[in-house]
Amino acid sequence: MSSKAAVTVLGSAGEIQRRWEEGGYRPDYIESTDAAVSFKPAPGDRGTEIHVDLERIASGGRLGEMALKASGREPLARVKDDLRRFKARVETGVIPRSDGSPEGELAERKAKQRPAQPLGASELERAGA
Amino acid sequence: MRANVWSGRNQVEIETVPDPTILNDRDAIVKITSTAICGSDLHLYDGYVPTMKKGDVLGHEFMGEVVEKGRGVGNLEVGDRVVVPFPIACGNCWACNHELYAACENSNPNAGMAEKMFGHSTAGIFGYSHLTGGYAGGQAEYARVPFADIGPIKVEDDLSDEEVLFLSDIFPTGYFGADLCEIEGGETIAVFGAGPVGQFAVASAVLMGAERVIAIDQYDYRLQMAVNKAGATDVVDFSMDPDIVEQLKELTGGRGPDAVIDAVGMEAAHGHGALHAAERVRQAARLETDRGHALRDAILACRPGGIVSVIGVYGGLLDKFPAGALMNKGLQLRTGQCHVQKYLKRLYKHIRDGEIDPSFVVTHRMELGRAPDGYETFKHKQDECVKVVLKP
Repeated sequence: MSSKAAVTVLGSAGEIQRRWEEGGYRPDYIESTDAAVSFKPAPGDRGTEIHVDLERIASGGRLGEMALKASGREPLARVKDDLRRFKARVETGVIPRSDGSPEGELAERKAKQRPAQPLGASELERAGA
Repeated sequence: MRANVWSGRNQVEIETVPDPTILNDRDAIVKITSTAICGSDLHLYDGYVPTMKKGDVLGHEFMGEVVEKGRGVGNLEVGDRVVVPFPIACGNCWACNHELYAACENSNPNAGMAEKMFGHSTAGIFGYSHLTGGYAGGQAEYARVPFADIGPIKVEDDLSDEEVLFLSDIFPTGYFGADLCEIEGGETIAVFGAGPVGQFAVASAVLMGAERVIAIDQYDYRLQMAVNKAGATDVVDFSMDPDIVEQLKELTGGRGPDAVIDAVGMEAAHGHGALHAAERVRQAARLETDRGHALRDAILACRPGGIVSVIGVYGGLLDKFPAGALMNKGLQLRTGQCHVQKYLKRLYKHIRDGEIDPSFVVTHRMELGRAPDGYETFKHKQDECVKVVLKP
């Protein structure tokens, strides 16, 4: 299984790295792992590439890995969620939320989407929106 | 509020759902005054687009009045009358900065799902499956519009809803299809499909200066509209003769059109006997998701060195793709969901200046509650249906 993920975010490497370390933008899951994170300028003013190399985490062998993958709680999927949310926060100022995925990008949601119809008050609260 | 929801293949129904609320600072809530059924909604209705969920609010062509807005929406005021583009775009990412709004990198919160299917995610779209975000659509009384500071265009009161509603999708989409053809004046353009998008592709090619525009369809009433309203110079009615490629050669002195627009997509109705039958079976068995007669014939008909512009919607995989003709004839294949936000001001001005009145496609007007009838009428082309407008 690949243990690498990357995203490109508009902004200089210095600025992106500063935001990465700031409170409001911190990618919580990645921070909680031993992942190696590196920043490098993308060619042609495309911004900054963030590369995450996730050390293989003991996950209970192949069956365990498959179970994690099915539930969306596989480490690499969670790393990608963090990267997409970080990019969106930095570039747009918000975490994009839909009716199907009100929490924003969330691997666990992929398998159990809400219907794409507006949320009631209690659901909104649960989704943190 | 009342909304038209998807409830399974060939089934939509009016349901009462919660009213939408502001979820982000850049959201606005729009009270919908007019909304429409799009040809691409039929792909959802017919069950050819994966990741639909029972209860999904449909609709990506809508307009109305801003009734609430988040703190980050500085360009709109409560009470403004707006048309909302179908792709949701953040306006901040690299793609949006390059006017590739339908490729927005941030507006799809199900990006991981789209990446698995397409390699990359593209923009979120209202009411168009969970692959494009899982956003509630606009066949409803109200809609939440994310990134409302980027998408919606304000429209003046002296224009009717029907004159401006189609800025949301089909007018820019048809225009985009013609724009991809790089028309400079004097060209011959063939348009597969004389549905609503095809009508606007014809009208746009004429606006851009094409000398001959050939509309292709199997319904005479649609071809009549293409000639009388959109400005087509010639027609090919394939209900009379299914060999479209030969007829296009005949009409162009053997050269073939300079550019061909596929405004049909994955549910092409024409095709040659055995291949068409085989594709219907493969599609029904979900071995192949897309029927490709229009695209195949577009490639075979286009003159060497010409452009094939694909604005009809495809969703998955296609068999028997004529790669040899594409390569050896040196064709350019250009395609995409329309970058609506790029074209809005230009097209609004065309309407404002009286150069086009997009309401010519409207054949049916219904109350929102009759949406299920509207889908059936549109799907089966009953009563010479071209476009259904719903009023909440």
